[in-house]
Amino acid sequence: MSRLRGMTLTRMCAPYALWALHFLAIYSLQGLACARQLGRERVAGLEIMTWTMWGLTAVILAAIAWQAWRAGQIRRALLASDDAGRADHARRLFMVVLCLLGAAISALGVVFTASPLAMLQTCA
Amino acid sequence: MSPATPDHTIPTPGDHLRHGDRLARLERVWANGPGLVGQLTAVNHSTVSMRVIVTGFAFLLVGGLLSMFMRLQLAWPGLQVLDPQRYAQFVTMHGTTMMFLFAVPIMGGFAMYLVPKMIGARDLPFPRLSSFGYWCYLFGGLFLYSSFIFGSVPDTGWFMYTPLSDSTYSPGKGADFWLIGVTFAEIAAVVSAVEVIAAVLITRAPGMDLRRMPLFVWAMLVTAFMIAFGFPPLILASILLEIQRAFDFAFFEVARGGDPLLWQHLFWLFGHPEVYIIFLPAAGVVSMVVSTFARRPMVGYTWIVLALVATGFLSFGLWVHHMFAVGIPLLALAFFSAASMMVAIPTGIQIFAWLATLWAGKPWLRVPMLYIIGFFVVFVCGGLTGVMLAFVPFNWQVHDTHFVVAHLHYVLIGGLMFPLFAGLYYWLPLASGRMPSESLSRSGFWLVFIGFNLAFLPMHLTGMVGMPRRVDSYAMELGVHWLNLLSTAAGFVMAVGVVAILIDVALCFVLGRRGVENPWQAGTLEWAVPSPVPTYNFASVPQIESRYPLWDNPEVVAATRRTDGLLGEAHDDRRELLGTGIQSGRPEQVIRVSTSTWLPILAAFTIAILLAGFISSQYWLSILMLVPLIGLFLHWAWTTGDRHAPAELEVAPGLRLPTQAAARNAPGWWALVVTLLIDGSLFASLVFAYFYLWLNAPVWPAVGATVMAWRPALVALAPLVLPLLAAWLGPVALAAGRLRTAIAWQVVAVVGGAVYLGLHLPALWAAVGAPQVHAYASVVWTLAGFHAVHILVAMLIGGFTAMRIRCGYVDGVRRLESRIAAAFWRYTVGIGVVTWAVLHLFPRWA
Ligand code: HEM
Ligand SMILES: [Cu+2]
Repeated sequence: MSRLRGMTLTRMCAPYALWALHFLAIYSLQGLACARQLGRERVAGLEIMTWTMWGLTAVILAAIAWQAWRAGQIRRALLASDDAGRADHARRLFMVVLCLLGAAISALGVVFTASPLAMLQTCA
Repeated sequence: MSPATPDHTIPTPGDHLRHGDRLARLERVWANGPGLVGQLTAVNHSTVSMRVIVTGFAFLLVGGLLSMFMRLQLAWPGLQVLDPQRYAQFVTMHGTTMMFLFAVPIMGGFAMYLVPKMIGARDLPFPRLSSFGYWCYLFGGLFLYSSFIFGSVPDTGWFMYTPLSDSTYSPGKGADFWLIGVTFAEIAAVVSAVEVIAAVLITRAPGMDLRRMPLFVWAMLVTAFMIAFGFPPLILASILLEIQRAFDFAFFEVARGGDPLLWQHLFWLFGHPEVYIIFLPAAGVVSMVVSTFARRPMVGYTWIVLALVATGFLSFGLWVHHMFAVGIPLLALAFFSAASMMVAIPTGIQIFAWLATLWAGKPWLRVPMLYIIGFFVVFVCGGLTGVMLAFVPFNWQVHDTHFVVAHLHYVLIGGLMFPLFAGLYYWLPLASGRMPSESLSRSGFWLVFIGFNLAFLPMHLTGMVGMPRRVDSYAMELGVHWLNLLSTAAGFVMAVGVVAILIDVALCFVLGRRGVENPWQAGTLEWAVPSPVPTYNFASVPQIESRYPLWDNPEVVAATRRTDGLLGEAHDDRRELLGTGIQSGRPEQVIRVSTSTWLPILAAFTIAILLAGFISSQYWLSILMLVPLIGLFLHWAWTTGDRHAPAELEVAPGLRLPTQAAARNAPGWWALVVTLLIDGSLFASLVFAYFYLWLNAPVWPAVGATVMAWRPALVALAPLVLPLLAAWLGPVALAAGRLRTAIAWQVVAVVGGAVYLGLHLPALWAAVGAPQVHAYASVVWTLAGFHAVHILVAMLIGGFTAMRIRCGYVDGVRRLESRIAAAFWRYTVGIGVVTWAVLHLFPRWA
């Protein structure tokens, strides 16, 4: 039951917040790299900064995936529980679905935002 | 709190006898005062929102008038309708009026009128605040336009780019009128955000859980959050620029270590989300109208909610796409370009959901639907040119040409005006109780639709050929004069259309055919309100079980008009709302709100005088005005509680609920949470400004300034522990009923705050020097000052709470105000620590 309660508005918005965090972080890092020459040395063919931003992207994607997985668990628990048809139940399912869809959109957003990394130098 | 919600709509024996009495009593309690005084003091949401809407349309007309002059000037090369200076002034005032005085407020007005009715509430939770917002909006707008009287009209564009708008390049008062007037008017937007968030979270009708909220309400909820995060950057930017202009600080001045691009970042950090702040409510209107006229529930309700929430977030990642030409590194541009294309996805989802609904239903082509079709056509075109503009190379090509003017009007007029008019005609029968004339309204639509397209379509061409925007003329050789003449002529057609619509609507209120209730057979709660609309909306707070209660259970209408349901009885002659759970929508509390009062208009008027004193450099007047202002707000706060309010009330036979001062989800609590969100966004923008300046400065701290020594810095920080302790132990003492101790803790907190200020500011002065020396000193002092103001406010709140405990308004059960004071202290200490770290730790490392 406590697991079902875990579906809050905050959790529903968490994937987007992660997207925002990613956006803010790579934009700031990029600024630091260009204005302050942070992480400009090359390692294994790429600047450290590029590696960092890729790493960050991976971490954020993992975090979004984790959120989605949690939401999926809640969903399964909801579907298995026998108070289907009750208002609470339907509402939680609604929020779980929103959270899952949000995770998909946010993941797509992160991938989209990060894709220029593959094409451009840090300070072109 | 309550067991499974009982059904209160079944009349208890004998109740019907009292129905007339109860209605009369509701009427009396909720009525506005008579005559002009009644109008000035009214706080009821229907009354206030009507004013907002009328004022918004008045500003539309004024802004439109300005654009007519501009169009005349552009009709042919080399005309002399407006000289270049006037043209610049008109562009500025037109853009400013349309964005800040028309688009945002009018949607706020719609929300203010509709949200309570849609969620089955009697009023908004903070009626005085809404009224205050309205007066700020009106006075702010008048303040801005008074620049015409004083002959110093702002002329640096509605975006006010620095350095053009600083005191070197804009020496007069024009920019000050803009900065002060617009910020003043923006109070209304911010206030409406607080209002809408609190209303939607805690005053929905019982049974209206999250998945049953009308889509317009969802849209407004998301919009309100966007305002809470998006407006503060602009407010901060305005404040910084005004401080620079008035007191010679140096945020944007290169010679003293500032950076003009800081303005652009802060402005567009607001400016892009602004587009969606305008569009999302309009999308909410579309969702309502489409499902009613398709006569079926919205297809993909969940998807639309998803799209609204996603747009709310994603739109904050786009601001730099307005700055593609300012020399930002390519990779950064590419991030924003990618995000700009990404945001098309949620918008696309909504469009498909609307089309699917129309497809699946049996659409009914009445006037509101015509506007929806107009919206589809125009908005999709605007969206397409938007995608074109998101490509950096194409953007470079058409930057600052009329192509952008075309795109912008396609998006704004398509995305805002058409849905707005759809909504206007859709809800007109509700507000007026009458039907508009079908023929006149159809003509209005065609005039606007045809006029608009003929006026703005050619601008795509003139722009691509190279006709510059924001410039009062163009060369004959460009070969765009015929197209411009067409634009101008069509612009007038459109203007005639807009005027016709407004006349039509005004006439409807007096001459319209008396309509049937709910003429479109809509399914949502606002249509359950009788016509003419009573000031209390519902005689009994409705209970619902579905998304379209009027379709699924028409009984609801009758139930809300009887007085034997929830809150049918007005206790103690007070205006009462029913508070419900945030997610579940179960009854939780009774919220008592204010009746008509002079406070809002007096407070707004005092602010207006204060600002007038400021702009005319009569600083003594401004400082003097602080006294009545603080007095008014203290009185305002003092009259919120009710010493005699019982801790519990009977809402319906057998259902007792706490009053808000004793309830967990009290509206005051949520007002505080939202206010702190807004304030936190302001603070974050300021910290962003600090780091942005640091990033672009060659030395930090600036030459001449030193970092404060460790010892005084640490000693200054120490007293902040006191308020923190007080915020923790004060409420504990109160809950245990130890009132004296609780008061003592408030005093301790106040003392702690005072000591902090006394130690920190002088030490900072010794280290940093005057704020005018360098951008470093400017931003350090602004941060320190920002925090100091918070300490002062917290001290005021602390003292106030102590008095309230003493006078018996706050006690072990009615703890709301003590919780608020404690939370405000925690927040103040929190930002204090961050400020301290930024001021004293960061420069050592940088
Ligand atoms: C009758 C309808 C309208 C006409 C004929 C019109 C015309 C114009 C013209 C000629 C300009 C100046 C272009 C330049 O020289 O750069 C302009 C700018 C602008 N308009 Fe409108 N306008 C209309 C309605 C609106 C509406 C409804 C809105 C917003 C809700 C709006 C928002 C703006 C803004 C923000 C600018 C400033 C653009 C810039 O940054 O340069 N306009 N308009
Ligand atoms: Cu934008």
